[in-house]
Amino acid sequence: MELRYFIIRRLLVLIPTLIGLSIFVFLLMWAYGPCNLVSVYYTVRSHNCAVIAPQEGIYLNDPVLTYLTYVEHLITGNWGIVGGSGFFLPQGQVLYYISIFFPNTLQLALAATVLSLLIAIPLGTYIGSKPNSAADHFGRIFSLSGYAMPTFWLGYLLIFFFGQGVSSFPTNVLGFVGNGLVNYHHSLPDWVSKTTLLSSPTHILLIDSLLNGDPAMFVRAVDYLILPVLTITYGILAGILRFIRAGMVDSANQEYVKTARAKGVPEKVIIKKHIRRNALLPTITVIGLLISSLLGGVVVVEEVFTYYGIGYLLIQAINPRSFEVWLVMGGTMVFALILVMTNLIVDVLYAYLDPRIRY
Amino acid sequence: MAEININPAEMVAKQEKRANPRVEELKASLRLLYKNRLALVGLIIVAIYYFIMVLDFAYPPWLGVPNLNSIYVFTRTYGIVQTPISPFVLSNGLPYILGGTQYNIALLPAMLGALRFDLGVSTLVVAIGAAVGITVGTVSAYLGGVVDEIIMRVTDIFFSIPFLVLAVAVTALVAHGAGGGLNGLILALIIVWWPIYARLSRSLALSTKSLNFVEAARAAGSSKARNIFVHIMPNVLSPAFVQMSLDIGSVVLIFATLFFLGVIPISALSAPPELGVLINYSVGQAGYASNLFFLGFWWTFLFPGLFLLVFTVAANLLGDGLRDILDPKLRR
Repeated sequence: MELRYFIIRRLLVLIPTLIGLSIFVFLLMWAYGPCNLVSVYYTVRSHNCAVIAPQEGIYLNDPVLTYLTYVEHLITGNWGIVGGSGFFLPQGQVLYYISIFFPNTLQLALAATVLSLLIAIPLGTYIGSKPNSAADHFGRIFSLSGYAMPTFWLGYLLIFFFGQGVSSFPTNVLGFVGNGLVNYHHSLPDWVSKTTLLSSPTHILLIDSLLNGDPAMFVRAVDYLILPVLTITYGILAGILRFIRAGMVDSANQEYVKTARAKGVPEKVIIKKHIRRNALLPTITVIGLLISSLLGGVVVVEEVFTYYGIGYLLIQAINPRSFEVWLVMGGTMVFALILVMTNLIVDVLYAYLDPRIRY
Repeated sequence: MAEININPAEMVAKQEKRANPRVEELKASLRLLYKNRLALVGLIIVAIYYFIMVLDFAYPPWLGVPNLNSIYVFTRTYGIVQTPISPFVLSNGLPYILGGTQYNIALLPAMLGALRFDLGVSTLVVAIGAAVGITVGTVSAYLGGVVDEIIMRVTDIFFSIPFLVLAVAVTALVAHGAGGGLNGLILALIIVWWPIYARLSRSLALSTKSLNFVEAARAAGSSKARNIFVHIMPNVLSPAFVQMSLDIGSVVLIFATLFFLGVIPISALSAPPELGVLINYSVGQAGYASNLFFLGFWWTFLFPGLFLLVFTVAANLLGDGLRDILDPKLRR
């Protein structure tokens, strides 16, 4: 089968998932109580609920119609309103909030993925080429502790040991503080927006500072990212390391490896070119799982490090004192979309690299 | 000519002596478990934690300090002290051997008491989640067709949301919708957890379904329900059990994380603190105006976290060991 047919089929499979996702999120909302969804101007226990609700597309006696309206709003970009009742978030559109906070999360997730791959591939190759050695046992314990580690606890531990000066990091560069967008009191470079504090062109400070040739800003960005990224990496390294090791051990027993040894190929070349290449291919499939746990880690880490990403936004939204239903729904939607899209990309990538997968 | 002794009663006795194959297998598994030292250590630690939990349910004031009121006990004995009491000072009494945390709640009894929530709720969630998931997955695999397709699409939806985000959203909304409190939390976690078991047991049931003995049972006229529950489900249970032992650690972790993030208002807890809450006491997350850890009261942070970590590591060791023993092919 040609690759594009595979992609088309994979995209078609996406449709029921997305529909189901919107139904699920809607049902959660409905279970929470449709009257609570009514605009933030009229607080939760509004007497006017029955009057106001239909104006906002919420039909108290008609969940189906409400769902259809909700989907229409989702597609047209009207994801609801934030703020008003809360002490933290100023009023605004959910989608606007997400568009501002999303690049920070992307930056964190990308940095963690890259770092964990950079560590896991050489380390996995090493311990996988020497099964049952001391290094292997160490790797096993390491990955086990990564599975078992409470992320929030590790985060604070790192702050305690390495980040006592963390508050002096340029958190405000990325941030949202108090009532409205923060006024960054140092002079911002031209390539950072004065209103949203997003850098251009990619909105990812780490990359933009390099693109704009500002090494000082790059150092600050790295400084700010290093502890959160380490915390997340420790958690997700476990899964990927374990998988690479298993792949290495599996491919080491293959016939072609024996052939290569018999030919007299040097051991180093065998490990790098024969075993590792074959072991890394299936590792792509775990990236989907990896992203799932990575995004979970992102939520915790953003909260611990007060890192202004969607995870932080989500946790602010569920604060019992200022519960923002639309933001919870929107945040969940965004996280789900990231995961679904990553899985799509991973599947296509895998099909591209390994034609056998296309049946 | 040798006398041939045919005594039916003796033959039956001999046959019974050969023992049930299941018992034999269990014995072999136990021998393997004994050889796998790491798994054994995991089992012992998990057993100790469960023992503490059971003891705590059975007789709450077993440490000499009623968990609920340890704060009063301390103020009655020592007067109001703002600074947390240091650990390892014997003169403060056994409950304060690991020091005090916020409000000078004695850390050791609080941690041990926290198992009532952490372990109790997690076990409940895993047990009910597994029961629902295994039933749904097995039935879905056996029936096949449209039912199977629908159920699998439903689990797809659950898997398309990152796990912790799903837990946070469901817990927040269900618990708020249900008026807050622990019941909402348990319900939410079950909603989050059953799809894992549904998927796992479905794939296992599918491979079992095509085996000859199920065909034979069907040919012999065994009913659908009998096929599902008597013939297929026992083959699903042992891998599912491995998954459960792995999951206990994860559920405890998620549970503590949810409390740490403040998804559930702490007021939902009317009894002893929970481990995430204890760590919260120390670092002032989720509305706590305390920063004990960074003020130098390291024990308020270190001990609850280590207590949690030891359990999750042990549960993972046990789960890994069980997986090796029961089903070497199964990978998560």
